[in-house]
Amino acid sequence: MTEIVKLKGLQKKFGNFQALRGVTFTVEAGEVVGFIGPNGAGKSTTIRTLLGIIKRDAGQAEIFGKDVWKESLEIHKRISYVPGDVALWGSLTGGEIIDLFMKLHGGGDKQKRDYLIKRFELDPKKKAKGYSKGNRQKVGLIAALSVDSDLYIFDEPTSGLDPLMEAVFQEEVEKIKEAGKSILLSSHILSEVERLADRVVIIRQGEIIETGTLDELRHLTRSTITLSTEGDVSSMEFVEGVHDFTQKDNQATFSADNQLIHDILEEAIKLGITKFEAVPPTLEDLFMRHYEG
Amino acid sequence: MKEKFARWDILFWQYLKRDWKKMIFWILGVGLFSGGFVPAFEEIAKGQGLIGMFETLQNPAMISMVGPTPVETAADYTIGAMYAHEMLLFCGLFAMIMAVLHVIGHTRKEEDLGLTELVRSFQIGRQANSLAAMAEVVVINVLLALFISGLLIVFNVDTFSVQGSLLFGASVGMAGVIGAVIGLVMAQIMPAASSATGSALGIVGLLYIIRAGTDVSNVDLSMFNPLSWTYLTYPFTENNWLPIVFVLIFSIAMVVLAFTLEGGRDMGAGYLPEREGRESAKKSLLSVRGLFIKINKGVIIGWLIGFVVMGAAYGSIYGDMQTFLESNEMMKQMFAQSGFSIEESFTGTIMMVMTGLVSILPIAVVNKLFAEESRLHLSQLHATKVTRGQLYWTTIGLAVFAGLIGILLAAGGLGGTAISVLGDSATIDMGDFFAAGYNFLPSVLFFTGLATLALGWAPKLGKIVYAYLGYSFILNYFGGILDLPDWFSKTAVQSWIPQMPMDSFDAPIFITLTGISIVLLIIGYFGYKRRDMVEGA
Repeated sequence: MTEIVKLKGLQKKFGNFQALRGVTFTVEAGEVVGFIGPNGAGKSTTIRTLLGIIKRDAGQAEIFGKDVWKESLEIHKRISYVPGDVALWGSLTGGEIIDLFMKLHGGGDKQKRDYLIKRFELDPKKKAKGYSKGNRQKVGLIAALSVDSDLYIFDEPTSGLDPLMEAVFQEEVEKIKEAGKSILLSSHILSEVERLADRVVIIRQGEIIETGTLDELRHLTRSTITLSTEGDVSSMEFVEGVHDFTQKDNQATFSADNQLIHDILEEAIKLGITKFEAVPPTLEDLFMRHYEG
Repeated sequence: MKEKFARWDILFWQYLKRDWKKMIFWILGVGLFSGGFVPAFEEIAKGQGLIGMFETLQNPAMISMVGPTPVETAADYTIGAMYAHEMLLFCGLFAMIMAVLHVIGHTRKEEDLGLTELVRSFQIGRQANSLAAMAEVVVINVLLALFISGLLIVFNVDTFSVQGSLLFGASVGMAGVIGAVIGLVMAQIMPAASSATGSALGIVGLLYIIRAGTDVSNVDLSMFNPLSWTYLTYPFTENNWLPIVFVLIFSIAMVVLAFTLEGGRDMGAGYLPEREGRESAKKSLLSVRGLFIKINKGVIIGWLIGFVVMGAAYGSIYGDMQTFLESNEMMKQMFAQSGFSIEESFTGTIMMVMTGLVSILPIAVVNKLFAEESRLHLSQLHATKVTRGQLYWTTIGLAVFAGLIGILLAAGGLGGTAISVLGDSATIDMGDFFAAGYNFLPSVLFFTGLATLALGWAPKLGKIVYAYLGYSFILNYFGGILDLPDWFSKTAVQSWIPQMPMDSFDAPIFITLTGISIVLLIIGYFGYKRRDMVEGA
């Protein structure tokens, strides 16, 4: 696999504030990487550094094997970007702004533009100052998706969109994923990341604290298990790897360490299982565990 | 009634609390502008000044700018008459524009921002907000009127009667009320706050132009114009209170109209539909240059019109200049130089002043790039193959171009009008005016260079360039009177440049200053290329 984005030990300081303290991760060709973290963790700073809008203090940052600061223009020919807060010129219409962005990027597809305007149900004749937050976001998305790029960088792209439009966005991203493009998707909507991302990178206080596929990350955490048995279920509470045990009549609900799942089930079988349900951890659970802990 | 205006008083007190700082600035700003120039006018009136000013202001071009006076002979033209004649229209305009912006800001703008929606979810009447905003603006204008009247009385000039002072203040305050009611009506009709502000200010502008025509042709017709009700009170001369009565009737009628219109519409809607824009962009927009022209167009055109008008205004006094300047010691010191014709020396000084004003435009264009940056308008452009160099040099190209055209129009307006009023007696031709204007090109470039230097290295300091411009402007304007040491007046960049047509062109200075400016542009570029883009700061 080729590395499309490569960050190694990226550092950035704003005055006395160390925004990034050694950010390291990669995005491989054809891969969708979910980039998550709480507000102020350094997601947007990382992305702005990647775009050459701000200059890193130390570390290595490359896209397509080129330095993001020195060769930004070569890189920018082949990327699309949507910020989390699309700011527009109030006196221009949405249609005009989309055309402008497409032209400045180069290689736009007029038909794709019209198709996307329809899909996202945007009124392109309205002046941008009349757009709501969600509609401004649509303008950014349509402009980015109408051009042909090899890497798409989305910084909380669906903020302000309604769930229907979110679904449209996800479908469109799946299309570009199928076409073998790479995507760096920063988002707070974890179900979105869960649906689209091959790999997840978690950042906190300017440091990457976890990376891996969702499966890999899940392995490190716990599933929620609901269990009914013929024998006395209360003995399960003291099995190693069982946490947060609650019981109602003969039915128990608890979370189980995935590494110890084999031993836990063995104990349960001894009691005679009458009903069993297991729910894998959601990204939400992962997120909470990482941020709270 | 209750359904409509319930608890408007709560909103009213809330507004006073929220706006008290703004109110102080407003009252002091408009008030000092309206009442504070008395000493300057006393200065002008010395010697034969009043007679000279009277003659000058008989010129139709001047009447169309400042309005008429009821005084018929120069002998009756007192300082009070002159003060009301020259100041009242502009003070009224000033008060009117402030009120328009304020009323729409508190009514339609709040609707657009969604604040009204929140407020109306409480036990507040549907139209309580408009009533509160209107009441606030009336209070402000009453205070303003009292402040101006008080100021004029305190100056204690013979011809400033107490009645006249009260009437002068009331006229300015009433102008504010007229502005407020026009704003309130437009806020109901138009589909959004921006179009309401635009159309209300447009109406004020239109009234100004109409009165320029009627003042020159037939002053009686001006009595039908709400804007004219300010200066037609003729304080210190005729002391006519009748227009104030007209204002009261007009305002009450307009407020009733506004409330009826508001009662008949939904929140957030207007009576005129929003104009549809273009579905796709014109070819001319699709480049960095096209975009920058589009976003700077309004400002550039506005200033360019201003330059022509200003040039024409100064040009129109060439005819009576001899009488006017020789009658007044201060004016003479400012504009006259021995050994040259009065037209020549006036041209030199006034071109320096006007090119100082022209410099505002390129600075504004350069500062706009930073404003765009901090408003996040450029983040998506940074992610395309557009270079920082393109953004920077396109901006500078536009700024320099605007400066060139600005000088052309200012010099053209001045020269064209001057030559037409001088007729056969003209001793200078158009070429002299253009030479005198473009002679100051290096100073315009220098200010552009300073602005770009700030843009590249310390973008937040971009506004300080205006401060330096203001400083040099004052130094140039009053330098002649104050008799400053040479090194001190040389701190204003224009002072290095000889004033044509009195002095001859100095090529080394011209080239050196231009060179310095170009160096500043290049240094600015290196800073802009390497600094972090400031986003959202």
